[in-house]
Amino acid sequence: MKIIVAIKQVPDRDAQFRIDGAGKWIEEADLQFALNESDAYALEEALQLKEKHGGEVVVLSTGPERIGQTIREALAKGADRAINIACDDLGARDALGVARLLAAAVKQESPDLLLTGLQSEDLGLGQTGVILAELLGLPHASLILHVEKTETGLTVRRELEEGWFQSIELPTPAVLTIQSGGNKLRYATLMGIKRAKTKEVRQLTAAELGVDATPVVVLEGVALPQKQKSTQILAGSPKEQAAALVEKLKFEVRVL
Amino acid sequence: MLLSLPILAEPQRFSVVEKIVFAGMILASGYLFWRRFGVVLNKILTSKKDSNFHLFPIGKRVWEFFWEVLCQAKVIRERPLPGVAHALVFWAFLAFALVTLNHCATGLGAGFVSPDGLIGRWYFYFAAAFAMACAVGILGLFVRRFLVRPKWLGEKLSWESGFIAFLIFALMATYLGSFFVADADTAARVLWWAHTLALLTFLPLIPHTKHLHLVLSPATIFLSRGSYAQIPPLSGDEDFGLVAGTDLTQLVSLQAYSCVECGRCTEHCPAANTGKLLNPKEIILGVRAYLNDLGPASDHPLLGKYNSQEAVFQCTTCGACEFQCPVGIEHVPILVGLRRGAVNTGAWEDDYGSKLFLALERGSNALGISPLDRDKFIQKQALPIFDGTQEYCLWLGCMGGYDPKGREIVADFARVMNYLGASYGVLRKEKCTGDPARRLGNDLVFQQLAEGNLEALAQNKVKKIVSICPHCVRTIQEDWKEYGTPPEIEHHSEFLARFADKLPQQSKDETIVFHDPCYLGRYRNVYEEPRAVAGLAGTVVEAPRNHERSFCCGAGGGLAFLGEETGERVSHNRAAELVATGASTVGTACPFCNTMFRDALAAGGEAPPQLLDIAQLAARGLPAGSSVIDSGLK
Repeated sequence: MKIIVAIKQVPDRDAQFRIDGAGKWIEEADLQFALNESDAYALEEALQLKEKHGGEVVVLSTGPERIGQTIREALAKGADRAINIACDDLGARDALGVARLLAAAVKQESPDLLLTGLQSEDLGLGQTGVILAELLGLPHASLILHVEKTETGLTVRRELEEGWFQSIELPTPAVLTIQSGGNKLRYATLMGIKRAKTKEVRQLTAAELGVDATPVVVLEGVALPQKQKSTQILAGSPKEQAAALVEKLKFEVRVL
Repeated sequence: MLLSLPILAEPQRFSVVEKIVFAGMILASGYLFWRRFGVVLNKILTSKKDSNFHLFPIGKRVWEFFWEVLCQAKVIRERPLPGVAHALVFWAFLAFALVTLNHCATGLGAGFVSPDGLIGRWYFYFAAAFAMACAVGILGLFVRRFLVRPKWLGEKLSWESGFIAFLIFALMATYLGSFFVADADTAARVLWWAHTLALLTFLPLIPHTKHLHLVLSPATIFLSRGSYAQIPPLSGDEDFGLVAGTDLTQLVSLQAYSCVECGRCTEHCPAANTGKLLNPKEIILGVRAYLNDLGPASDHPLLGKYNSQEAVFQCTTCGACEFQCPVGIEHVPILVGLRRGAVNTGAWEDDYGSKLFLALERGSNALGISPLDRDKFIQKQALPIFDGTQEYCLWLGCMGGYDPKGREIVADFARVMNYLGASYGVLRKEKCTGDPARRLGNDLVFQQLAEGNLEALAQNKVKKIVSICPHCVRTIQEDWKEYGTPPEIEHHSEFLARFADKLPQQSKDETIVFHDPCYLGRYRNVYEEPRAVAGLAGTVVEAPRNHERSFCCGAGGGLAFLGEETGERVSHNRAAELVATGASTVGTACPFCNTMFRDALAAGGEAPPQLLDIAQLAARGLPAGSSVIDSGLK
C-alpha cells in the first residue's frame, strides 16, 4: 500500500503572536514551528497501516526552508521518503492554490491512499484535503479516526457530534482527512533521526510542476483578538451571590 | 622469648613421586582456573571499547584503590560487622601471598623463606596472626550466611559459598596447625598436603563462582568511569545505548563479572523494597548471564530473556545501588544504558512515556503546560527578568515554573534573595533541562533541550545559576557537558547556607525531619547545607535512613511522569518513615520530593506533619514588608 501523507508546518500553538509590518500575516522571526497536530495523527495512521500491510509512506509538504526540520521529524518517525514543494509565501496562499500544488505532485506518485490532517492549527480552513480529492477525482471522507484495509478498499470510522460515530466503506485510491486523537502518537527516536538522514527528500517548485497557484481568495489582513475584561459585582446575600455565580458559570462562561 | 615460641613445621624432604604429583596438581589446578578465567577475560576484552575512558587523572584511581580495596573502607562502612569479617579474610589473603608462594616452592624443593630464619620466623608469625583473624572472620561470615541468613543474600542457600568458607577455614587451620608439630612428624606432611589440597581446590573455584570478584573487583574499582552515576556519551552514529551484546563495553562486562552477589544494591533499592520487579543485583546478573550464554559479539537484544524491560523502567536513578556497591559496579549507567537502548530505537512503548516525550519534543516543559502560564506566574510574582546585568540567573525549572507547590518554593526563595539584596533575574523563556528525557534514555529530546538551553543561556550572558531543583542542577552541571559548557550552577541550599548567619533564627521548638534528595545528597554530596538552612526554623532531627542512605521519594529517573507504580508507592514508604520520627515538619530541598510527599502525607491519615521546602522555612522567619539587609551581595 502506497500512502502519501500531506503535512503542514505551523507555528507552535503556545507562542505569543504579533502581527507583521504589513498587517497581513504574523511575525515569524521569533516563532517556533512544529508539525500540525492532526497531520501528526494522519502520519501515525499511515505508519500503522504500513506496519500492518506493508508498502510505503511518503510525506508531502509545501513551505519555506524551515519546513526541512518538520520533514526530518516525519522521516524520523518512520516515513520512507519526502517530497517538498518550495513555497515562501504560504501565508498568502489560499486552500485551492495549495491543493493545486499538492495535487500535481500526488499525480506523479499515484498512491493508494492520500491522508491529510483534518485542518491546520494556524488557518484552520479544513479545505485542503477535500479540494485535493476533487482535483484528483478521488472519493474522500473527512473527520476520520480509524482506517481499516479490506479486500476491496477501506472501512473508515468518522467522528460525528456528541460521541456518535459513522462507519463508511470506500474504494481505493481515496483521500481521507484525519481527526486528532484516533491513535497514540509515537515519539521521535535517535535511531529514527539518524536513519532519516539517508532518506530521500525530493525538492520541487511550482514551475516544475506547471502549476499556477495564484490565490483566488485574497487575504485582506489579520488581527489579534481584543482582550475584554468586564468585572461584574454580584449583589445580594452570600447565598444569592453564590446562586448567581453558579448561574453565570453554567450558562455564560459554561465551565460547570 | 621468640625462641620459645613454636616454629612453623615444613616436611623436610619430598620424594620425586611427591614432587611430580604436586607439580601435576598445580598444573591441573592452574589449567582448570584458566579454562574458565580465560573465557571470562576474553569476553571482557573483546567487548566494545569505552570510547570516553581516560586513565588520567590517575591520582583519584590510586586513592580509591587504596581506600576501597586495600583498606576495605566501603565494605566496612556500609555493613560494619560483615564488613570487618570480610576485611579480615581479605587482609589475611594479602598476608598469605608470600606464605603461599613459599609453600609451593617448598613442595618443589625450592623454598626460599626458612621458618627458623629471622625473616621467616617473623613473617610466619605475622601471617599466623592474620590466619587467626581470617578464621574468625570466615566463621562469622559462615554463621551470617547459613544461620542468620539475611534476605539480601538471596533465598537460596549457596552451598558453594559454604564449601569455599570451609576451604578458607581449612587453609588457615592447616597453616596454624603446622606450628604445633615438628618437621619430621607425619602430621607435618599431612598438614602440608591438606593445605596444598585446599589451596589447589580453591583456585579453580574462583572463576567458576562469585569469588571471581577476588581477581576482578580490584580492577573494577581502579577502572571506574571516574564519577558517580555518570552517563557516558554515545559514540558514533550507530550507538543507541545498550541494545545488544555488541553495545556492552569493556567496563560493563568487567562490572558484570565482578558482582559478588552481596545484595547491598537490592537492600537499598527503592523499587526492590516496595514490591516491584526491579532488583539491581538481578540486572547485573542478567547482563552476566547474557555474556555467558551469548557473548559480547551477539546482536540478540539485551532486554527480553535476560533482563526485563519493565524492571529497567522502574528505576528511579536514586543511585543507592551504585553508592553501596563494594566491587565498583556502576548500576546507573547500565540501567540508563538499557533504557537508552529501548527508547532510542523506539522499542519502549508506554503511554505516559510517549506523552512526556511528545510534550518535550513540542513544548517547553515536562508538565505539558503552555509557557504562557509561566509568563503569568513571573508577572504575578513580579520576578525580575534576567538582562545580563544581574549576578544570578534564577532557574525556575518545570516544577518552579508550572507546579503550584514549586511556585510557592520559588516565591519564598525570591523573598529571601530580595531580603539579602541579591541581584538576580529569571529567563523570559526556559525549556526543561531534559532531566526526565536523559534518565529515561531519550537522547534525541535530551540533546535538543540541552542545546536549546545552552544557546539561550549564552545569548543572555548567564554566568551563574541558582535553582531550587537538584535535578536541574545535576543535569545542567553534569549532563549538559556533552553539548557545551554550562554556566556555574548551585542549588538554593548552598546559596542559602552561605548566608545562614544573615537570616533570622527562629524558635528551636519546632522539630524538622530533613529528607535528603538523592540528586542533592548522593549525586552532589551536599548534606549539611540544607540542614543548616532548616536549622534556622527549628531543630533538625534525622530519619533512620539519612544522608548517603536516604531513601528515594520515588520521583527520579522520569518516574514522576510515568503511570501508577506496582506494589507499594515508594513515596508512601518514605513518608511513613518521616512521619514516624514524630517531627512536626518535613523539610525538603527538591520540588519533586515535595510533590511526592504532598500526596503521600495526605494519604497517610489525620494530622500529618507540615511539609515545607528549606526556602520556605528560611522565608518564614523574615520580617514582614520589603526590608533589605546588607549581606555583602551586590
